[in-house]
Amino acid sequence: MSLTDQPLLALDGIDKTYEGGKKPALDRVSFQVAKGEFFSILGPSGSGKTTLLRMIAGFETPDRGRVVMDGEPITHVPPFKRDVRTVFQSYALFPHLTVQGNVEYPLRMARARHPERAAKAMEALALVDMADYAERLPHQLSGGQRQRVALARAIVCRPRVLLLDEPLGALDLRLRQQMQHTLVSLQKELGIAFVYVTHDQGEALSMSNRVAVMREGRIAQLGTPEELYFEPASEFVAQFVGRSNLIPLTFQSGDDGPVAVIGGSRFPRLTSRKSGPARLALRFEAIRVAPASDGEGDLAGVVEDVLFLGTNLEVNVRCEGLNLIASVPAARTNELSRGQPVNVTMDLSNARVFHG
Amino acid sequence: MRGSSMVDQSAAATGMTAPVIPRPRIARLVNLPVWIWLVVIVLLPNALLIGCSLMRISNGFIAFDPSLVNYQRLWGSSGFWTLLGRTLKLSLVASGIAALVAYPLAFFVGRIVRRNKALIVTLVLVPLWISLLMRVFAWRLILGQSGLLNSFLVSSGVLDRPSEAFLYTSASVILVFTYIAIPYIFIATLNAFEKLPQSLLEASEDSGASSLQTFLHVVWPLTRRSLAIGVSLAFLITVGDFVTPSMIGGIDGTTIGVLISSQFGMANNWPYGAAVAIVLMLCCGAIVGLVMAACPQRGVLLGDEGARPASGAPSARGRWLKIGGMTGVFAVILFLYAPIALMAFFSFNDSKMQLFPLAGLSLRWYFDLVHNDGLIVAAQRSLIVAFFVITFSTIVGTAFALLLHYGRVSGARFCEFAIALPIAMPGVVLGIVMVLGTEMLRIPSGLVRTVVGQSSFVLPVTMMLVLARLRRLDPSLLEASLDLGADKLRSFLFVLLPLIRGAVASGALLGLTLSADDVMVTLFLAGPSQTLPIWVFNQMRFGFTPTVNAVFTLLAVACLLIVVAASRIGGRLGRPVAQNDA
Repeated sequence: MSLTDQPLLALDGIDKTYEGGKKPALDRVSFQVAKGEFFSILGPSGSGKTTLLRMIAGFETPDRGRVVMDGEPITHVPPFKRDVRTVFQSYALFPHLTVQGNVEYPLRMARARHPERAAKAMEALALVDMADYAERLPHQLSGGQRQRVALARAIVCRPRVLLLDEPLGALDLRLRQQMQHTLVSLQKELGIAFVYVTHDQGEALSMSNRVAVMREGRIAQLGTPEELYFEPASEFVAQFVGRSNLIPLTFQSGDDGPVAVIGGSRFPRLTSRKSGPARLALRFEAIRVAPASDGEGDLAGVVEDVLFLGTNLEVNVRCEGLNLIASVPAARTNELSRGQPVNVTMDLSNARVFHG
Repeated sequence: MRGSSMVDQSAAATGMTAPVIPRPRIARLVNLPVWIWLVVIVLLPNALLIGCSLMRISNGFIAFDPSLVNYQRLWGSSGFWTLLGRTLKLSLVASGIAALVAYPLAFFVGRIVRRNKALIVTLVLVPLWISLLMRVFAWRLILGQSGLLNSFLVSSGVLDRPSEAFLYTSASVILVFTYIAIPYIFIATLNAFEKLPQSLLEASEDSGASSLQTFLHVVWPLTRRSLAIGVSLAFLITVGDFVTPSMIGGIDGTTIGVLISSQFGMANNWPYGAAVAIVLMLCCGAIVGLVMAACPQRGVLLGDEGARPASGAPSARGRWLKIGGMTGVFAVILFLYAPIALMAFFSFNDSKMQLFPLAGLSLRWYFDLVHNDGLIVAAQRSLIVAFFVITFSTIVGTAFALLLHYGRVSGARFCEFAIALPIAMPGVVLGIVMVLGTEMLRIPSGLVRTVVGQSSFVLPVTMMLVLARLRRLDPSLLEASLDLGADKLRSFLFVLLPLIRGAVASGALLGLTLSADDVMVTLFLAGPSQTLPIWVFNQMRFGFTPTVNAVFTLLAVACLLIVVAASRIGGRLGRPVAQNDA
């Protein structure tokens, strides 16, 4: 919230329960989005993130709480009077209008004059590299192209907030990566605040200034991608953001307070103020694996299987009744194979311990 | 024909699953039945109609002497042009009024109603299944000189004596045509409104469009084609209807259908009647073409636009819209059912007069039925005809659908269109076309001729229903079955048949009501062996007996039972009609 004093968009204590629903879809959700910020809402399906987006767009009204834009409450302002545009998950291109007709649509609704309309539409299409397709109808485009047209239609009026509802969900991997770059540079260029809904943690981490992680209608954690990654506030966040082993352990009283015991081994490096059972969240890349012959490690184990992922390998090691997954750079680990005895070393600098 | 249809079906499956292996020569012959039907039932009779219109009548016989004399006579006849103009005007005005009622109604039911939606849809569509004759007759009961409207107005002091102004006018024909047209337009447009993805409406609103703008720029362009189809359907059905004008219209309401039917009946001048029919067909084609051109369709709904159900934000405006809409729905349903209910009511009246208050309740008209030999025979005949028509149409229609879908018939689209042509022909024209066709094939008038004539429009309905179902099927289901080791026959029996069973059954039930109700075509074909509707029609022409009320009430109850059965078996009741021209 460092960019300006007054947030561009603020949600304040939003509650929403759908008719006939038992659990609330949104439960006391509050957050603020600054001008020109790339804000992501990350969560598994059913966590309430799309409901949240529809509330900002004006398609849903909260049971309680308010939506404020630039200091003005807009909770009950209808969608067509909000300076907010949405890129729909399904693109929602009008099938009977050409690409240009689709992009001109909001300008037409704003009663812009014809030459101005065409010029602005072509400009927006040029921004997403679709100017050559202006005369086509939506069904004559590929999925990626439709996506770009939907984006052009949403930004042609330069709204203050752009909402994106899993816009890359239907694209293949290569297109998705390409579009991520397009989105980030477009956002920088236009200075529009983006509110981006996704269930893909990779997309959220790579593009956003800040991310709100949703779980069952509540915000589980809100922070920068680095904060979420390195300091997850809960097991849920630790598992949902990045890839973590969750290792059960117990803290037993020792000379300098409670000390961690994993399997049967003591870890004097890992201490806590509380004794008792707990779980350790440890990123895949915080575990190193070396052949048993290379000397000592924290734990001894046997390789169960190895997945080759290109830049790195994921090694599943069985040790002391636990399965640990380590992510190791691909080049160095040709020596690892199934059934091989290994030693595992844990980098505990970014590990998080959750009691209870 | 029926024996060979099983072969056709398995051969149809072959066509789909053998893309690489060249098919044996015999496999190409499976298309043959489709082409035979096309030529014998559709193309030949229509060619005969054109041929006949070029003939001349001399001494009561058709003389082979090709000339344009009939058309010259038409051209010079101002009476004909007046009649043609009036016929087209009556149907167009009625279809237009019905569109004004049915389109908003379909919008409301398709997009806003959530609870009891299926019930409302069924209620609006059931009149389609109830005998046309009965609905027309019910209106006579209301509008006639000794009818309910008059007796009400006289007894309440508005009029001094019964007026003739209600029955036998253009307005009364328009009223009844509108009554007939509403369910057709409703079902055609309902489908379009239901298919409209919610996300498109939201995207429009999100782009800053008000409700009116969203309607003009998104909803209307995406639904106008369906409205055009519904209006065309209603137009074609009413324009070919000579029963309504002859019973309701009087002199001012006479239409060209009455003229054509009289040329093939009393006046006995077939060539002249054929020429009139051809001019009528050309006019209908032009009008339908204009309606379609006025409502162009652009773009294709891809199905990935998303179809989230409408969000139930209860705004004050939404509440008023709902109340207004429900009032409209009730008004339309009342309009559709009041005449039928009144007729059922009077069937229990212990008097020959159709007046309130009732003379007393009695079942005497029903007892009269039992002792009426003419009626019993006619009813039996109707059942026999319906049995053969639906057995034949269901089996062959299903086989044709499978062939057209899987059999890679060359020109499948053309075949489908041409086979469906009889549905789109004005009823009176189809009637005389079938007379010419069966006359040529030396089929004597009577039961066989009636069965052939009715099959010409029942079979396409069955075929279109099954085709529509096949097109919605996931094609990989059949591939999965073959992949899992089932041969073609067993794939058909265990996978395809259960999936299309609902469509086949509802096609058969729809065929039953179409066959059992038909007057327009059967009247020309039945000769002395009258089916039930023809018998009733003749009774009504000779004078009124309250027995007719009882017959119709029983028929309506039978129709309702069939509708309930059909909806149990599955599938939306009205779909078939909407897909006729789609």
